[in-house]
Amino acid sequence: MSTEMKMVIDGAEVSFQEGETVLEVARRQGSFVPTLCYDERLDPYGSCRLCVVEVEGRRLPASSCTLKAEAGMDIRTGSDHIRKMQSTLVEMVLSENPGDECPRCRDIGTCEVHELAEEFEVSRDRFLGAISNASKDDSNPFLLRDYDRCISCYRCVRICDEVEADHAITMTGRGWNKGIATAFDGGLMDSDCTLCGQCIYTCPTGALADKKMVNQGSKPGEIEITRSVCPYCGTGCSINLHSLDGKMIGVTPVLDGPVNEGALCVKGQFGFDFVNSEDRLTRPLIRKNGELTPVSWNEAFEYTAQKLSSVRDDHGPKAFYAIASGRAPGEGSYMLQKFTRAVMNSNQVDNCSRG
Amino acid sequence: MKSSVEVKDPVTEKILDQWMEKPAPFLSVLHAIQDHFGYLPESGLRLVGQRFGIPVSELYGTVTFYHFFSLEPKVLPDIRICENSACCLHDLDAICEEIVDKDLGIPHSGKVEKISCPGRCDVPVPILIGETFFHGAKSGAIEKATPATMPLPPEIGLEECLFKDIRNGVSSLKKAVEAGSWQSPKRAADDPEGFITELKSSGLTGRGGAGFPTGVKWEAVRTEVADQKWIVCNADESEVGCFKDRVLMAHTPHALLEGMTCAGLITGAEVGIIYLRWEYPEILESLQTAIDEATAAGYLGADACGTGKPFQIVIRRGAGAYIYGEETSLLNSLEGKHPFPREKPPFPTTHGLFQQPTVVNNVETFCAVPPIIDRGGDWFSQLGLGDQQGTRIFSVSGDIQRPGNYEVPVGTPLRQLLMEFAGGAFEGREIQGVTMAGVSGGLVGAEDLDVRLDPASLNDLGAMLGAGGIVVHDDTRCMIQAARESMHFLAEESCGKCFPCRIGTTRMTEILDELNSGEPVREGLLQEIEDLEEVLAETSACGLGLAAPYITRMLKKYWPQQIQDKIDGSGQALKEGSE
Repeated sequence: MSTEMKMVIDGAEVSFQEGETVLEVARRQGSFVPTLCYDERLDPYGSCRLCVVEVEGRRLPASSCTLKAEAGMDIRTGSDHIRKMQSTLVEMVLSENPGDECPRCRDIGTCEVHELAEEFEVSRDRFLGAISNASKDDSNPFLLRDYDRCISCYRCVRICDEVEADHAITMTGRGWNKGIATAFDGGLMDSDCTLCGQCIYTCPTGALADKKMVNQGSKPGEIEITRSVCPYCGTGCSINLHSLDGKMIGVTPVLDGPVNEGALCVKGQFGFDFVNSEDRLTRPLIRKNGELTPVSWNEAFEYTAQKLSSVRDDHGPKAFYAIASGRAPGEGSYMLQKFTRAVMNSNQVDNCSRG
Repeated sequence: MKSSVEVKDPVTEKILDQWMEKPAPFLSVLHAIQDHFGYLPESGLRLVGQRFGIPVSELYGTVTFYHFFSLEPKVLPDIRICENSACCLHDLDAICEEIVDKDLGIPHSGKVEKISCPGRCDVPVPILIGETFFHGAKSGAIEKATPATMPLPPEIGLEECLFKDIRNGVSSLKKAVEAGSWQSPKRAADDPEGFITELKSSGLTGRGGAGFPTGVKWEAVRTEVADQKWIVCNADESEVGCFKDRVLMAHTPHALLEGMTCAGLITGAEVGIIYLRWEYPEILESLQTAIDEATAAGYLGADACGTGKPFQIVIRRGAGAYIYGEETSLLNSLEGKHPFPREKPPFPTTHGLFQQPTVVNNVETFCAVPPIIDRGGDWFSQLGLGDQQGTRIFSVSGDIQRPGNYEVPVGTPLRQLLMEFAGGAFEGREIQGVTMAGVSGGLVGAEDLDVRLDPASLNDLGAMLGAGGIVVHDDTRCMIQAARESMHFLAEESCGKCFPCRIGTTRMTEILDELNSGEPVREGLLQEIEDLEEVLAETSACGLGLAAPYITRMLKKYWPQQIQDKIDGSGQALKEGSE
């Protein structure tokens, strides 16, 4: 065990562990330190400078996300001076964006930039001038890329590199003429992008969003969010189901999901269309006289049991082969192999994930 | 295209084979590919990414950071003309108009592109076609430019250190050795501790602008234990109004090579890299000649200067970016990473090039080392005036009789430099103000020309000495315009990583444009300037953003009336410009 180290944050003595940043320690002990470029899953970046704090003995404020905690440090997070500069920074960021309504805030949930605008009680009316990048017309089916609203925190680029290791997008240009692009500026579908959607859920603005979720004509407050577990495979990723008037309109990852920690794959994130599909089976059917006819579950089970028994009895165990769905949990897969071996007397069992 | 697709490009393969085993080959590989194809083709970049282990998207983004890498095929070069502080005092549009139709012996596209200062402020206005410089002179004549103007002889009684032998043809090894060059590396190898003591007592500090004590830096790298260490010379002199390093490299290259060799022998580094700005093509040639001569004579190589220790020097060419004045950004550039500044600490002395201990110094700093060792730290130290130590070179340009480089004692009054050495303002004019540190150190008004040229005195005024460039503006100039040009440069050159600098320098430029427009200005404009200054000066991630408020703060300090006149809409029409 390393010896416990102590520092002072806003007048209170707090303990910390080696390797922690001042931001982490300050937030843990309840100080309000705003950020925009920070995502706890990513390496500290220090670009938005909103997390600046006063460090006793230093002439200039330091960005707390990149500052390692040291024993004896004396930190002030919320002096009037710091708050004023943070407020100016939020106004500067707002000035980069267009003044129209943020679709992300309207249709999915308040974005981080506008949360901070509310916190600091500022709006987009000072420092007005040129706005951010041009948006990109991208034909991919899922990801909205509205770079007019980009604030160049590069969380999208960093999560693609550091967490997903896909390296599909990059930062381009410099200064005001910066941007986000794929290699050689093509569409996402032609890049190394796996459409995992991580970029849109780390994005602190409306620059990146789920295409299917924005512009649904919703009004704030109508969207219901239900925490659930993704049904696609046995991993068990935590998700939030967004629904509007009883109809599912989207899925977002849950940051504190113990398995996925905010990550989802393309299927779990965007592949929920089947829920509302007219072709979706909602009850068992048996083909009778050439017609698919709705039946009760009991009838369906009886029918299936009888057919499987006759396959085994008439054609032998080798006539039976079971393949488990990758969407089934471990328990389901276990049951299937047990059934195959114990009931059907066959060893012919596999899982689609091996394909 | 997905990364998994196989690419074939024998030309790039061959270039990669030639370069991959050499030190920090990234920039050289890209230049070689661009020299061959005229641009950087996709196939080539994909192969470079594979060999360097850089994801192709990241490589693409990195390439777009640089001014002088092109991703589009170009048949003929564009005409590039400087738009910064000393040059924009001239009628750029008229010069552009003239050059487009003129036969200069080099075919060009006819397209004019304005570029940031290429370090030729003493002979404005530089025009670059391909890799050949011309200058558009006052008369309208456009002539081929000379590599570097020789500094004027010093005033009587003024003792020089760096320029002592520069007028004696010491660009050749023979003359340099006759003048006493290449003696100090032996001393560095035999008595490194004594060498560092001399450096410390000389008071030599980093001349790139940051002013860190050179002896302390070298000692720090010397005491690090590492498999490999590096010496890096920042020759990416990109600050507007600075052209001193170009003159040093052109006329006394062996002082630079010798200084770097000393650093290598002291610290245990075996390779020195000169990061040369792309805009200095003639220097590339002459410096390479000097390296070749020194290597052939045994001053560089496996047994450098007969010390039994190896030291070699290579040149790596930049591709246009002011941000490399920030040393960690330069190191990222050499490594092939996105050239943003790194978080500090750790500093390059422990985690430099490829995370190994590295000395990074500016050209002037390295050049000062051999004469200091030759004549003693105390000798250099006492060259300064009053409490100050040593000499510094100042690049003077703009509305001044004798623009050029002047080596003067640290602590020399600004007025003496401008009026006595550089000849003062043009006939019938008066100096209204000057930019400092190039432009990033703010402005000094005529009333404070008695300020002494040392870091503390400039800080007391609220300005910064920095890299030693001074652009003079006479009484025909609009100082708001001068401030706007300086701010515009910083906005153009901002790397874009940290929010205060990226947004702040652009907003400041827009606000100064608004003041200059002659139209009524927005309400609360002065408060906006003040709030931006505060955020820039206290929260920016590197020196570029931190320095930006010097410009507007000094503008408000010395020329409040010019600002008020603009706000009131009663701004007097300026006298006709000097051109």
